[in-house]
Amino acid sequence: MSLSTPEPRPESLRRDERLADRRLLRVAWASAAALLAIGVLLGWRAEVDHRERAVRQAQVQADILAASVSAALAFDDRVAMGEYVAALGLNAEVAAAAVYDSAGHAVVSIHRKDAKPPPPEAGPPGAHFAGRRATVTGVVSERGQRLGEVYLRTVPESWPSVLGRHSGLALLSLLAFLLLGVVTAAASRLQARARLLTQSNARLVEAMDARGKAEEALRQSQKMEALGQLTGGIAHDFNNLLQIVQGAFELIGRKPGDPERVAAWSRNGLAATERGASLTRQLLAFSRSQKLELRPFVVAELIADMRELLVRTLGPDIALEVWLEAADAAVVSDRTQLELAVLNLAINARDAMPDGGRLTIATGLRAVPAGDPLLEAGDYVTLSVADTGEGMAAEVMERAFDPFFTTKGVGKGTGLGLSQVYGVARQAGGAAQIESQPGGGTAVTLLLRRSAAPSTPTVVREAPQPVLETAAGRTVLVVDDEAALRELACETLELLGYRVLEADGGDRALDMLQTLRPDLLLLDYAMPGMNGAELARQARRRWPGLPIVFASGHADSQQVEAALGGEAPFLRKPFSMDALARVVGERLRVADAGPEAPA
Amino acid sequence: MAGSRVRVSRRGGFWAGACAAALTLWSVPGAPRADPQALELAVKATYLYRLAAFVTWPGEDTGAPPSPVTLCVQGADPFGDILDRLIAGRRPGGRPIVVKRVARLEPRSGCQIAYVAGGPGQSPAQALEAVNTAPVVTVTDEARGGAHGIVHLIEDGPRVRFSIDAAQASESGVTLSSKLMALAVTVKR
Repeated sequence: MSLSTPEPRPESLRRDERLADRRLLRVAWASAAALLAIGVLLGWRAEVDHRERAVRQAQVQADILAASVSAALAFDDRVAMGEYVAALGLNAEVAAAAVYDSAGHAVVSIHRKDAKPPPPEAGPPGAHFAGRRATVTGVVSERGQRLGEVYLRTVPESWPSVLGRHSGLALLSLLAFLLLGVVTAAASRLQARARLLTQSNARLVEAMDARGKAEEALRQSQKMEALGQLTGGIAHDFNNLLQIVQGAFELIGRKPGDPERVAAWSRNGLAATERGASLTRQLLAFSRSQKLELRPFVVAELIADMRELLVRTLGPDIALEVWLEAADAAVVSDRTQLELAVLNLAINARDAMPDGGRLTIATGLRAVPAGDPLLEAGDYVTLSVADTGEGMAAEVMERAFDPFFTTKGVGKGTGLGLSQVYGVARQAGGAAQIESQPGGGTAVTLLLRRSAAPSTPTVVREAPQPVLETAAGRTVLVVDDEAALRELACETLELLGYRVLEADGGDRALDMLQTLRPDLLLLDYAMPGMNGAELARQARRRWPGLPIVFASGHADSQQVEAALGGEAPFLRKPFSMDALARVVGERLRVADAGPEAPA
Repeated sequence: MAGSRVRVSRRGGFWAGACAAALTLWSVPGAPRADPQALELAVKATYLYRLAAFVTWPGEDTGAPPSPVTLCVQGADPFGDILDRLIAGRRPGGRPIVVKRVARLEPRSGCQIAYVAGGPGQSPAQALEAVNTAPVVTVTDEARGGAHGIVHLIEDGPRVRFSIDAAQASESGVTLSSKLMALAVTVKR
């Protein structure tokens, strides 16, 4: 199972982004300031234009008045002047107007009731805008002859009118400001959200890591739980096997002179050790791997290999029936996990049949059509485990696959067994189904998506017939720290015709290799001090063509193979005499065939 | 004109107006203040002086800098030194005015405005006849006989006003400003 974890972004990248954000914010504020400045500038410009226009208009009115009254002023016709000024007063924009003689004294003047009267003396010529009104003093002249002055003042512009003139621009500026504010607020909210996302992403990554570790721990604990369940039965079984072996040896010891009966007793003893070996092989393989390895393997082979273990697990009161159809159908899954699933189901079945019964394990094929609610269309390998036990009620069945749901007493089950079964089925692209009735037994069926057959057989089966080699004059160095095992190996090899040397450790072995130059090295893997792999590496370095064979009871054969670089054959303890003879002989043959030939 | 009031200052009477015209506008130094006769003359002198601004003589280019205007007083001069002082005290800008006194008014006298007072050498009627077709703006005075020049000064109650003979003006080839005509009591066409 691989979890795709989002890559945490590097700190420098985040810093760059923060800088960019800050720059953006600064640009936004600069824009706001520029906008405000432009708004004020435009407003001021409009105001100046308005004033100039107002002054210009007042100037034109004053010029008209000046031109109109020139003759009347020249010839002191006050009536005419009064008429001209009164006509000007009809203009609602004019608040006050006056005509001054050339000495600057007011001759004619008008003003609105609510306006200040014109000044009695003429001011200097000019026009200005103050207090929302334009004031103009113009010269009256005719052909360059200065005759006097006119004065004109407009009514002040009303505040609503001033506001009306500026409201458009002010409103636009305000709206732009608001818009900018909204955008800035939205941007900062987005930033905050991005920060939150980053944080929650980091938390998610952490959680996923933790979950991965927890899952690994859970798998291991599930295995250990199953092993714990097995221990009692297995120990009992081993005692039985040892009893057979012990009995056989005792009988042989008492009646060594009766070759026929000795042969029969030794056969019994050997058969018992074979069963024991098969059992330990299963247990070791089972406890070995902690990591999930999804590889194709054949389900029927797995069940066949587990048979011994299952028999021991179920005990003598429960009969095991195995129906293996689809003997070559493979699935892609973790082999250990599927073994564990079968074991869990067997343990559950055993517990459900305290008074004995029958457990049926069957494999088969099922084609799932398109439109199935649970599974994709395709071929599935079925693996069903059915018992004749007490069964379960519907409400228990509903929750049977839930983690930590158990009907067993405290200390007897964790409630993880069936959830592990369900998990392995889902992982293999399938499903698990449960059928049960109270008193009618329980059947659990795993549907596992069928895959192509494995490229290499997962289990190398030993050749059935013994091949005893003639070993004329060849020397084998046996290295094992345990004297009994070493002696056994030596005697076996001598019996096979080899000359045998022995060493109890790596340093001694290297000395002997130097002086005695044996033809083959038979090594125990696990030894105190220099272990077998280290010794093999040193020997290889100094004598590259030296054939090496390993013997080990160690659980993790893969670790051993990795240490050897796949260059040495590997004998799993306990091994038979035949197996030893065959492997040693083959190794020597290969070495004889040529130094370049692969091991 | 609702909400506004026209105020015409010092409508008190002819002499008050004359005083204003003569004394305050042009500050004729040494004018006898209490003498109504003198005030009336001062007003008339001012009118003569100002008339030049409202007349266009033939051949005059309105765009060109104004050439001096010769103001003649024909016959017995009633103004004394009032005219001279007026012109001496005039403000800069406007047309230069030259005052000339002639016993007889003739086309070649070089006058452009002529106050026809009449004298022993030439009666007002004769003077007017002499420049009948010349570009001279003749000014007669109701107070000095019945002859009517192009501009005829009239005493209208408290004010000095004038009538205009537009037909004679056009015969003389001078053009009077419409503003001037608008102020005339009567305009003869």
